Amino acid sequence: MLAGYILLVEWARALFATVPGFTIAALVLGGAALAITVAGRDTGGAAKLGLGTSRLGLRILGGLTLAIVLLLPAAARASAAPILPASLALAAVAVSIGEELAFRGALYAALEEVGGAPFAIAGSTVAWTVAHALSHPPAFLGAVAAAGLLLGLWRWACRDLVAPIIGHVIADLAL
Amino acid sequence: MKRLVLLAGATTAYLLAAWMVAPGFYDGFTPPQPYNFVCPPPAAPPATGPPQPGHADIKVINGVSDANSDFTKDGQVVIGFLPGAFNASGKTTVTVDITPVSPCPNPAGLHFSTNTYLIAASAPLVMASNILFRYSDVVPAPSFIYLAPSPDGPWKSIGGSPSQQFTLNTSTRELGYFAAGYSATATRPSTPASQLLPVAVAVLIVAVLVAGVPLAVLRRRREGDAGSDDDEDES
Repeated sequence: MLAGYILLVEWARALFATVPGFTIAALVLGGAALAITVAGRDTGGAAKLGLGTSRLGLRILGGLTLAIVLLLPAAARASAAPILPASLALAAVAVSIGEELAFRGALYAALEEVGGAPFAIAGSTVAWTVAHALSHPPAFLGAVAAAGLLLGLWRWACRDLVAPIIGHVIADLAL
Repeated sequence: MKRLVLLAGATTAYLLAAWMVAPGFYDGFTPPQPYNFVCPPPAAPPATGPPQPGHADIKVINGVSDANSDFTKDGQVVIGFLPGAFNASGKTTVTVDITPVSPCPNPAGLHFSTNTYLIAASAPLVMASNILFRYSDVVPAPSFIYLAPSPDGPWKSIGGSPSQQFTLNTSTRELGYFAAGYSATATRPSTPASQLLPVAVAVLIVAVLVAGVPLAVLRRRREGDAGSDDDEDES
């Protein structure tokens, strides 16, 4: 049910974002609709979602490290890398926070309850990849899946969602 | 240790997968279609093909040309005509052709960000028509659309304002040679904006190293002081 809702929001967002003049609205509203997945279920508190405040310095550092990894392939070929237009910056922040809360937050927690960590990592990665099928050409889906796997593994290995949020936001703002 | 190995493996897998596609994380943003250059700049990714021409046959009804538009098949140029845009007396059809120009004009004092296109019609244009140019994301954004009677010039600006992402549009009362670009004397960054990315990543790496070392030292010191009571709050 939760996965279905997230996929529906992502696909609707991707479709509306292609309508001239609706791009920013689609991304901001889509991000908000994804973020409410956290509020819409009993997740057991922020700590269970990986949003605890202990070791915040390390979490932030982890986020910067994830951003470096996510940006490295583009930075190494910078002359061919597109830069996100400034007008889309707010939308990029909204959608990246919303996606992390939905995929590595609410969906991961729900899947972990059902089938444990491996099921949560695999399930959230598959859902993340399928969710991007409309907004990305097929050739990009391998990289999308690999990014989802990396963020999901971080969520499991460090029991942390702060770093994936920071890394995702920085990556989206930069590209 | 197992977690570190898995994270390292996932990192390697991501780097390999991302390296195999065009740069860009593109999360939620449709990747821009590669621009088909007549004269590709060094930074241009592979094009989907040669730049395409466009052709339109505009009906003339009771001596008045119909509303219509002409566009290149790759969508790099679109021009729209209102009813009566052409002096079409004595004609039943007005043909409009958009043709990419080769070799690329290189006028003194101007930098063109797009291809140059010849837009020609079989009847004189008598009404302002809206023209839209799409440009690549790997070149500096053009400021204006320029018009000239021949590839050798003289080129004059006919204005230009951004509409959608990576597009510039304006209106024209004349047809001829068109290109979108900017004045060579305009203030431009010495490098394309995309050159900022490696600098940003370098700054991130330095930040991680500078902040990571004291954090690691502090953590070790605290672990040494407190023994092994460093428990997770999330578990």
